[in-house]
This record gives sequence, structure tokens and C-alpha cells, in this order.
Amino acid sequence: MSPSFFHHLHPPTIPKPQARFSHTLGAGGLAVFLSLTLLVTGALEMFYYVPTPDGAAESVQMLTFLVPYGGLVRNLHFWAAQGLLIVSIIHMVRVLLTGGYAAPRRFNYWLGLGLLALIIFLDFSGYVLRWDEGIRWALVAGTNLIKAIPGIGPGAYRILMGGDAPGPAALVRFYAWHIFGLILLFIIVGVWHIFRVRRDGGIAAPPPKLRQNRERLPRNELVRIEVVAMIVATAVLILISTFFPAPIGPAMSETAPPTAEARAPWFFLWVQQLLKNGDAFFWGVLIPLAVLGLLAALPLIRPSLAPEEIGSWLPKSGRVVQIATLGIILTLLILTLL
Amino acid sequence: MNVTPSSINPTPLSRRTFLELAGKGLLAVSGLLGLGGLSRFFSFQTETAVPQTFALGPAENYPPGSRTFISQAQAYILHTDEGITAVSAICPHLGCSVNLADNSFDCPCHGSRFALDGEKLQGPANRSLRDLSVEISADNQLTLLT
Amino acid sequence: MKRTLAALFLLLAVLTAVWANGRPPAPIPLTPTLTGETEYCLTCHNDLPDISAAHPTAVFGCVRCHGGERLALDADLAHSSMRGGANPSDLAVVEPSCGGSDCHSGAVSADRDHIQRVQTSIQATYAGAIAAVRYAFGVQPDPAAQLGAFAVQDTETNTGVPYLDPFNPAQETHPSILKFSQNCLNCHLSADPLPGGEYDRFTGCAACHTPTQNRAPDQLTHTLTTAIPYTQCNTCHNRGNYSLRDMAFHPRTDEANGRLQDYYQPIGQFTQCEWTLDCIDCHTRSEAMGDGDIHSSQADIQYVQCRTCHGTINEPPLTKTITDPNDIALRLAALNPVIDLQVGDTILVTEQGEPMWNIRQLDDGSLQLTGKVTELTLPFSRVMDTACEQNPDEQESHFCHECHAVEH
Repeated sequence: MSPSFFHHLHPPTIPKPQARFSHTLGAGGLAVFLSLTLLVTGALEMFYYVPTPDGAAESVQMLTFLVPYGGLVRNLHFWAAQGLLIVSIIHMVRVLLTGGYAAPRRFNYWLGLGLLALIIFLDFSGYVLRWDEGIRWALVAGTNLIKAIPGIGPGAYRILMGGDAPGPAALVRFYAWHIFGLILLFIIVGVWHIFRVRRDGGIAAPPPKLRQNRERLPRNELVRIEVVAMIVATAVLILISTFFPAPIGPAMSETAPPTAEARAPWFFLWVQQLLKNGDAFFWGVLIPLAVLGLLAALPLIRPSLAPEEIGSWLPKSGRVVQIATLGIILTLLILTLL
Repeated sequence: MNVTPSSINPTPLSRRTFLELAGKGLLAVSGLLGLGGLSRFFSFQTETAVPQTFALGPAENYPPGSRTFISQAQAYILHTDEGITAVSAICPHLGCSVNLADNSFDCPCHGSRFALDGEKLQGPANRSLRDLSVEISADNQLTLLT
Repeated sequence: MKRTLAALFLLLAVLTAVWANGRPPAPIPLTPTLTGETEYCLTCHNDLPDISAAHPTAVFGCVRCHGGERLALDADLAHSSMRGGANPSDLAVVEPSCGGSDCHSGAVSADRDHIQRVQTSIQATYAGAIAAVRYAFGVQPDPAAQLGAFAVQDTETNTGVPYLDPFNPAQETHPSILKFSQNCLNCHLSADPLPGGEYDRFTGCAACHTPTQNRAPDQLTHTLTTAIPYTQCNTCHNRGNYSLRDMAFHPRTDEANGRLQDYYQPIGQFTQCEWTLDCIDCHTRSEAMGDGDIHSSQADIQYVQCRTCHGTINEPPLTKTITDPNDIALRLAALNPVIDLQVGDTILVTEQGEPMWNIRQLDDGSLQLTGKVTELTLPFSRVMDTACEQNPDEQESHFCHECHAVEH
């Protein structure tokens, strides 16, 4: 069998112990698969979506209820997006708990963190495109948060929204960011991230001399596994999308009564919880930025990882990083569930 | 490269070949169903054309002998000896708007010609211009139905 | 092997998706000529009859009046933005539902100001009862209306009451007023009715225009009519008495569906008209729906008496011959075509000039009423040239009842 295009995307062989599912959790590969699903389903949605305040919610309803398989396409896009964010976080935690962040992969860890930030912005901008009553207060509160930044707030708000309040200009801007601006950055950084994985020698493993298990996995077998995983993932995603519809609300209306309970999208529930404490700039901007900064600083913690422990779960020399990681994730989880 | 047993064993349809073929076949069926769904997805019509009515104002605005082009309706209103009639200005060939010449409607795109009652004089159009109906209300107002 | 199983799993998932896509009912589109915007309500509601001849579904569709999400095929979402639940005519939402200059909030001159008139009417504001009770217990200095069931304005007042503030029980201290607010606010057009089939009605326009007689509890009904039977009036009127002494409502004790008997106001004597006709055969639109002014008492707005149709010993009832093809009388007759009213017909008019379009004066000078609900043709006579000797200055109905009361 001659190597195909898909074989060429992989190194000829990779270390077998680190290629196991129990080591990678399949999270990176799943993220690539979900990203491709999002590109395809997103492109399909663009054939029906109308980015105007009057047309947006209506076109989403038309897609959801009237276009044959339109509801399936939208649900696939929704669940793939939620899934991408979740598997990206799992991927990051896996990297932090198996020492995958250590040199020479520190830079790629930061690229990955950038991708996570892009995914959150993509999720939020996509959520806003529904432009229905369900997203109204999250949009208002989320964008007013920008205004709370001292000094540059009002200017930044204008740059983001193109006006003084959510309106036609803001919707077109969110649309342009979602389908082009952020996607362009996501593809560039994403390809860079994958390139660096191969450049840095594949999945993190100890230097060859220190390896106890020298077994290697040839790439044609890896591709076979990936194909099976992709088929199964597609099937699971189709089943989820068939039985669990994505949220949708009535068109945004000036005359709608105030909502009984306005909730942020789930990935910002922790920020909504923080904002109940007081000052919007401190709790809504500085603290989330500090969380991101803390995550970015993790690979810099000394002493650095012992080389022979790279590529195994919970290496002893990485205790501080592991405790910090689990601390951050647990805190965010508790704030989300509160 | 691994040499698979099926390539050296000429037995038709070993268990392994069968499974591989079946797998490919199943994938192909899923793919075809997906393509079918995709074509249905794209075939949805978001707009439906509905017959429209146009208020043309009082009948006095269309005196005997007049030939008036109503641009928003793509139609001509003609007041002849037989009364007020309307004919579509849309050429049945490929949809351009025909021009009023001395005694005919001429299509600027491919040269079809029609008589003033809409009847085809010269191709490439293979049909005549469509007749439209005009209603006159009790207070002498004209309404065009397309 | 693994790949074959995976492929089988995928095919099953795809087949499930195909099955799920074919499962919901085929969408039924409707593009009402009035709005031109396609709506899919009929997918589930295809069995609903037109609500009235004047509001055909093909012209109005559903969304123009009811609101809602016209494209949604999910019941919860489709209904989530409907106005007034199942009743878009509730006065809180009536303007977007029934309003519009070509509909029911148009010009006074075109007689299209129904919403403004109803919202200021005594049946909607309940201002008369509120003012009378507060005055009786010394809470306000005079019986002029100050408060209504809701805040309402009349920018061009002819009655000296330019606005009403909302009646708020929390701001009242007198125990009788508090009892009144608890027990006696069940009958204005925005109030939910008392429980029980005999009180069953909707709110807003539908309180009168959607007959609810004999419907099962909570059964929905899709009807609007101007042929309002007396039974609909009876859901509020003639239901019992409000006692000023203990500020409580005492329901009538006789057969609730009976017509007059024990509690009919004011005197318990009835003429044949009151046994045979429906309320709307004599009582006019302005009496029921208001005249655009805010009034302080029902007595200020209700004016039709026996003499309106029968005249007095000196004067015949007022008449008018229809000359204008756009006359309001013809419009009203067209909405409830119990008679074939034509230009040239002579009909009775009230003292205020309102047409009694169902009462014609025939060519021989005789008078004939057609029941707006019953469609009965009832000839009747004027007082002039009869043996009646009733003083023309004493024309309240109780004077007539003294001679003309009948027993059943």
C-alpha cells in the first residue's frame, strides 16, 4: 500500500506508549475532527443565514424547522462547537498532567492556549448570531463589559459593535468575525499548532535514550485507527444532533417583557457568577484575564520537568503544575455549576 | 508495507476481503444518503413568488390610443378600440423586457418580435407575450393583476 | 473488522437521522394576502375555522392578530411570543393585536376608533363603580371618576375627566374599599371571571364578541361575532347583586341559565321586549363600547329607553333614510347580515344619532325589528295614536312597566 495524502500528514512512526488512547484521550484528534465538522456545517448554514436584526432569528427558524435536514445541520454545528470547547479543555488538561508542556513544546502550549481563546470567542460570536430573546441579555451584558474597561472601554466597544447599542452594525460585525476573521486566525494558528506537534517530535515522550519502551507505531496503522475513530465520532455526533436540538428562542423584540432569569452561555457561567461580586471591570475582565495569564505561566514554573518523566501521567517533578491545573479547573467548574 | 493475505490468496472473497468490501459498501451507502440529504437541503425555497396586484390609478390616465409601460409590473397597458388591456413585457424566450416599437414589441436581447396584442411575430421566442388582466372598479380605478 | 463495525454504526446513525427528518408533519404554509409573509401555524391548526367572515384566515393569517413565531414548528417556541396567550384581544395587548389605522385603532371620522373607545368605556375602566363606592364611604369628595381598572387617558375630554389613575388596593385604607377590591372586581373587561360556567367569558374584546355559552371548561373557541346573544351579556350582568352593606357579591340563587327572574335590575318587572329580544337589539355600540370619553357612571352612557323605538304620544321615533353607500348602518348590517339593508331604506336612529340598523320603517309606515341574534321578524307599533296617555316628560322605563309588564 503506497502512502496516501493522509499518511503524509503523520510522521512515519510515532512512539507507541504515547499514542495509546489512555494517554492522549483522543482529545487532539477529536478537536481536529470537530473543527472540520464545524467548517462544513458552518458553510452549509451560511446558505440560509441572514445577518440582519430583522432576518437573523427568522432565518435560523427557517433553517431549523423548514429546510430539509437544516435542523440536523444546525444541531451538528452546535454540538460540534460545544464538543470542540470541551475536548480542547480536556486536551489542555491532558498536556498539563502528562508533562506535554515542557520544552521544547512550551511555545506550542501557548499556541494551544491561543486556540482555546479563539474557540471561546467563536462560540460566543456564533451564539450571538441567533439574535433571539435567548441571547439578548448575554449579548447586552457581555458587550457592556467592554465598556467597563477604564480609559479604552468606550472606544473598544465602538470598535467591536460599530454603534452605541446592539444593532444591525453589531450583528454584521459578529457575523464577519465568526465566519471569517476568527476562522482565519483559527486556521492559521491551528495549522501552526499541528505543524509544531510534528516539528517537536510528535506526542511528548522522554528523549530516546531514556525510553523504557521503545515500541513504535507505523503511520498506516495510526491512520486506520484515526479513520475508525472518525467514523464512530461522526455517528455519535449525528445521533446526539438527532435527539438533542440546539437551543433557540423567539425573535428579539423591543416589546418582549423582561426575562425572569437571564443566563450566560454555559462557557461564561463562571464569569456571570464572578460578576455578582461587584465591580464589572475587576470581576468580569481582570479576573478572567488573570486566569488566562495563570494558565500561560504554568510551563514557566520551576523546577522544570525531569526529562525521563515527560510523556507519562502525573510525573512527580510536575506536582506544582498539576495542583495548579486541577485547582483552576475545579474552581471554574464550581463557579459554573453554582 | 504489510502484504495482506488476500493479495496472495486467490480464493475469492476471503472473510477479510468480504469484511473490507462490506465496510466500504456501508460507508458508500452512508455517503450516498448524505448526498441525497444535501441535495434536499439545498433545494428548499426560501421565497415563493405570489401573484401581485398593482394599483394603476384612474382610467382617465390611459386615454384611447395610449400605450403605457408600467415598470414595476413589467407590463404594457394598451387602450385600443377594444378597451383597456394589458400585456406582459417579459419576453417568453429568456426574460428580457421588450421595447415598444412603431407597431410591435421588440426584444432587445435576442430579437424576438411580437404584435401589439402580444402575438409572436418572430423567434427565437416560441410563445406569445402573456396576456394580463386589468380590473376597473366602480369609481373608475384600474388594478393590474400579474 | 473494527472498521466494518464502525461503518455499520455510522449507517445506522444516518438512517436514524433520515427517519427523524421524515417524522414531523409536513409543514403547511400560508401566505396571508394582508401581510405577504408566509407562516406555518396551519401545520398544527389546519382544522380551525375562520374566526369570522370579516377576518378570513386566507387574508389575515394567524400572526397578524395572535403574534407568535410564524416559522417555528416547535409548539413551545411558536407560541412563546403570542400576544395575550390564546386571547390577543385582552386590553393589555389589544393595540398590536387588533389595532392599526385600517383596523380597529383608526380615525374617529372613519368609525375605526374601537380600541380607544373601549379602553375609556365604563365597562373597561369600571370607573363608575369604583368612584361610587369610594364616594359612598367618604374616601373621595365627589362621585366624579378618579381611578380606573387601569390607567387611561382621553386627550380630548368632553366630560371633564381627562385621565384615570389605576385603582390600587394597596393605597386604600378604608376596610369597605378593601373588601370591595377583593370581592367586586370580577366584571370589568380586563378581569378574570369568577369560576363557574355561568361566568365563563374571555377578557378584552372577546369578552363580548366571542360567545362562550355551553362551552366545556377551558375549551378554546375561535369565533368573533357582532351577533352577541344575551347569554354573553349575562356572564357579567344579571348574575347576582353586589351588597353595599357587606361589600360582597351574592350570586343569584335561581336557575343560572334562566333569563330574568329574581335579580334582573332594576325593578323586577319586564315587558315583552325584555323577554324576547337580545340586549343588543336595543342597546347601542356607544352604550356598550363607549363613546371615546371617560365617564363617571354607567348612567351617563346608557341612554336608550322605550321611547327610542316607540316614541311618545306626541312624537314618533326618529328615523333616517340611508343615502350614502358608505353609511355605517350598511357596514354594520353587512357584518351581521340578518337583513338585506339597502340604500334608500329608512331605519330608526337614536336620540344621539346612532343607527338602529335592524329596525326598519317599511313603506306603509309600519315598524319592523329583526333580531340581530334570533333573526326573528317582529313588527311593533309606535305610541302615537294609541290609547297610551303617558306624560312625554316621564319616559323612564319604570313608567312604561307599570302598564306593560308581562308575566311568564
